[in-house]
Amino acid sequence: MSDFVSPPALAESRQAIDRLRAAMRRTIKGKDEVIEQVLVCLVAGGHLLIEDLPGLGKTTLAYALARSTECLFSRVQFTSDLLPSDVTGVAIYDDRERSFVFKPGPVFANVVLADEINRATPKTQSALLEVMDRARVTVDGVAHAVGSPFMVFATQNPVDYEGTFPLPESQMDRFLMRLHMGYPLPADELEILRTARTGYDAIKVDAVVTKEEVLRLQALVAQVFVEDSVLDYILRIVTATRTEAEFKAGVSVRGGLALRTAAQARALVLGRDFVLPDDVSALAAATLTHRLAPARQTSDALEERRVVGATLKRILANVAQPS
Amino acid sequence: MKTDLGNYQTAASRRSHFRRPQLALDEMRQLKWLLGGMLILLSVWTVFYLDVDAWTLMGLTTLSVLAGLVWPAWPARLPRIFHTLAFPFIVMFFIGDLWLKGEMLPAMVRLDILLLLYRGISYRQRRDDLQVIVLGLFLIVVAGVLTVSLTFAVQILAFTGCALAFLLVITLTDSVEVKATAEAKKGLRGLITWNAPETGLPAWAERVDWRRLGRRLRAVADWRVLVLGGILFAGVVGVSALLFLAIPRFQMDNSLFLERFISKKARSGFNDTIKFGDVSEIQQDTSVALSVDVSDPKQVPAAPYWRMLVLDDYRDGGFRLSPRMSKEVFARERTGTALRGEARPKLGLQAQWTFYMESGVSRYLPLPGRFEQLRFREVQNFRPSAELGVVALRAEPATMTAYRVEGMDFAEALPDPIFAERWKSWSESAAGGRAEGLMQRRLELNAADRGALARVLAQIGVGKRPEEFSRAASAWLTSNHGYSLSPKIPGGAGDALVRWTASREAGHCELFSGAMVVLAREAGFAARVVIGFRGGSWNGYSNNFTVRNSDAHAWAEIWDAGRGAWLRADALAPAATAADAAAAGDGAIARRLDRSWTARFDSLRVFWYRRIVSFDARSQVETLQAVKAATETTGKRLRESLERAVAALKAWLAGPWDARRVAGLSGVIAGLVGAGWAMRNFRFWMRDFRWGRGGRKVDPVRREAGRLLARLREPLSDGARAAAGAAEEESVRLELERLRFGPQATWTQPEAVLRRARGALKTRRRERVSRS
Repeated sequence: MSDFVSPPALAESRQAIDRLRAAMRRTIKGKDEVIEQVLVCLVAGGHLLIEDLPGLGKTTLAYALARSTECLFSRVQFTSDLLPSDVTGVAIYDDRERSFVFKPGPVFANVVLADEINRATPKTQSALLEVMDRARVTVDGVAHAVGSPFMVFATQNPVDYEGTFPLPESQMDRFLMRLHMGYPLPADELEILRTARTGYDAIKVDAVVTKEEVLRLQALVAQVFVEDSVLDYILRIVTATRTEAEFKAGVSVRGGLALRTAAQARALVLGRDFVLPDDVSALAAATLTHRLAPARQTSDALEERRVVGATLKRILANVAQPS
Repeated sequence: MKTDLGNYQTAASRRSHFRRPQLALDEMRQLKWLLGGMLILLSVWTVFYLDVDAWTLMGLTTLSVLAGLVWPAWPARLPRIFHTLAFPFIVMFFIGDLWLKGEMLPAMVRLDILLLLYRGISYRQRRDDLQVIVLGLFLIVVAGVLTVSLTFAVQILAFTGCALAFLLVITLTDSVEVKATAEAKKGLRGLITWNAPETGLPAWAERVDWRRLGRRLRAVADWRVLVLGGILFAGVVGVSALLFLAIPRFQMDNSLFLERFISKKARSGFNDTIKFGDVSEIQQDTSVALSVDVSDPKQVPAAPYWRMLVLDDYRDGGFRLSPRMSKEVFARERTGTALRGEARPKLGLQAQWTFYMESGVSRYLPLPGRFEQLRFREVQNFRPSAELGVVALRAEPATMTAYRVEGMDFAEALPDPIFAERWKSWSESAAGGRAEGLMQRRLELNAADRGALARVLAQIGVGKRPEEFSRAASAWLTSNHGYSLSPKIPGGAGDALVRWTASREAGHCELFSGAMVVLAREAGFAARVVIGFRGGSWNGYSNNFTVRNSDAHAWAEIWDAGRGAWLRADALAPAATAADAAAAGDGAIARRLDRSWTARFDSLRVFWYRRIVSFDARSQVETLQAVKAATETTGKRLRESLERAVAALKAWLAGPWDARRVAGLSGVIAGLVGAGWAMRNFRFWMRDFRWGRGGRKVDPVRREAGRLLARLREPLSDGARAAAGAAEEESVRLELERLRFGPQATWTQPEAVLRRARGALKTRRRERVSRS
């Protein structure tokens, strides 16, 4: 394998991503930036946490992505009585076989929507840990591989925290990015209102790329070139979060690696075989904010997110980009 | 440096693709605190050379401000009542100080330091910061006017630099705070840390890490701001220098003006007495005591003696200036700048001697001999003594004292017609049996001491002439006593000086001169001790004579009735030096030439005295004339050089053309073109050279591409581009991005890309010009 992305591979990846982008834009109106970041997350092989109010198109987004990529889609509604086996699957006794047979859970898909993940108990949440990290489930000592490609779309409501279990930091660290959907613009919302559909499963989306193409794109990401000064830029951002007094703790090494991978994926999504400092700064907020906690904890989660966001923004303003 | 406020960004920085790092508001406040503390310390340290009793306050301020810098949170621990009572206390302190000591200026200085102390330990608002600058400036100016020292020059430069930086930070912080107020009103709560009440702990003081701030300062340091700051500083200094040169000179009687406000105290300088019973070690102080400019260095003696004070009265084992002498011999105190001396005017050009006597040396002026005229730089209160050849100021000056002497007569013998008359009268009275006391002859010793002296005189062999006696006594003293700065006087009864004279113990100049005087008086001569300096060195950098405190000396003068003059008798003068004492010329200078590093620093001090302190109307005219002459000469030379070059070119062109000349011309043109090409490609060759040798790990192609990329990314302020230009720029930008951040293996013809980028920038400039 070449050290760098070869021109034919780059051209092929551009075509695939253009097709995918166009298909997504046809389905999700007025959210080009979010689509761009979802594509980055997909190409980087990461998982996505979407925080926003209900009814803004989170499920549709996941569904459209799955359908466009010829992937198997699965949705799990997380509740407080949801058991880990309800997610991962369970081994049940088969009378005919006279043995325990593993019945795969909903995670055995390519795109898994974990809806309102913070409503489940920590035990159930942590059941997702292994599968998100290693793309496999181990039951009774037997490892079962989930779909490939595999991507978790987790959602949570940032306003209604009654009766929820906030995700632990270790769990948050496993999400490559955290996104916000936000309300669509009036013109886009008007167009949504004109459509007849009401549910995501009514959407007709044709597959524009194959699963194999997605896997090839994911393999190419590692070959996207990152120049030393850009690596140094990433390092300086990460280090700045560690010395910043506003944060309880800085970004972990995994966080730095995630930022690098995300930047590589963005370069590929934008048709480049090398990373620009802009790729890093554009994704720093989405990749790092959910890994940071403010030093002064308050009861207002929104305020905490605002403080973290503002501080990270200041850090990005202060850390010089390589020129 | 730029500032930001939380997520606040200026519109310009939002547009700019490459953001520069910026200091946060709290960091600006920390920097302001640091600079304010430094300014306070710089100001209060003037007390080190200001003759004002404020050491305790200065020490307290220094400790408090340093503590405030190390732990910026500690001022918040002061109880609120401290701030409530501070102002009344300071006012009461000032009134009490004025009432108790009655000195206005020292009281104002102490008040100033007290205010600075308070400002140094309380969190300052903008007006308080400005107050710190004004208070500090007051101290610096007072110190400058009072001392006029080189230290002041260094301090005012440091203060100016620090104050400029402080003002810049104050202005930036203030502007950001104003914007913060506007933003806060829009509802950006939680992002802005506000000034806490004066006594509370502000947010910026909670977590101060000076090392981190230093790193941040290094990161945000923009060379353009540094250069601008340097230019601003140089501009302030330059404008001050121009004003100094240009404004009309006037005589400010500062000593009289300031002496009303400040009382000077004599410091350790020369004493009016020499006591032998409690002789202690002499400390070797090598600091400069006197700098002397001589208009004709060839007239400088090889070993000059700088007389300062004459001690005539020997009693109780010590020499002192007798009360009669101090009362009668010195004229009434005068106030003025000029003094006519006793030396007769000589034909021919007279050398001018300009003396710069450091503070703390003495109130007696060092003078090599009698003089025709003496002029002070400023009005002085002084008492001259024609008989002693001495001039005494009213008090030991707290600042450098400058005076110019003309018609110096530095002969070894000092004519004294007044004493000649008294000697004659005394001799006649003694012969007629009515001998009165003549202090220079008096020797009140007991019989045993006189017997001891007589025995010594018997060994010396008393000559009838003072020169003979001086030579013989000097030879005897130096053969019986060694020289030591740590003398030892043998114990026993009787006079201490006589005991030492009769012994073989080593001694210093005071003992030698004292012994010479008592022996001379016992032998029947009138004699006295003179104290001052001997020798010095010739500074090879500033071409002046430098006399140090370690050159302090004491010697004897013996009356020569025949010549009516006092003869110098210095037992410690080496034979060769004594012979050359009056000799002068290049040889004398060469022997005393000093080109050491100390001399280099001393020359700075002399420069300060010559060009700044003594810069009077005459110096001003001379300087301006010199500048004018230098400008004219330079212009004339340039014009002449240009004319010569044009004439040579014309002659060359008019000459016959042959193949050799054509070849030569072609060679020069080819060389120039080649040099241009080489310069253009120099960076690429250097790149290979550096990378090959493991030099700086910054690829010059990447660096150049980054530089051009940054310029291409600058937004156009004047609207849309021509479509073709914009397309070309976009294409070049993509190529540059590859050069800057892409894998090197995928580069294609980097030189061509860089050329295209430069071309695109030129096109952009041309379009801008054509539009404007």
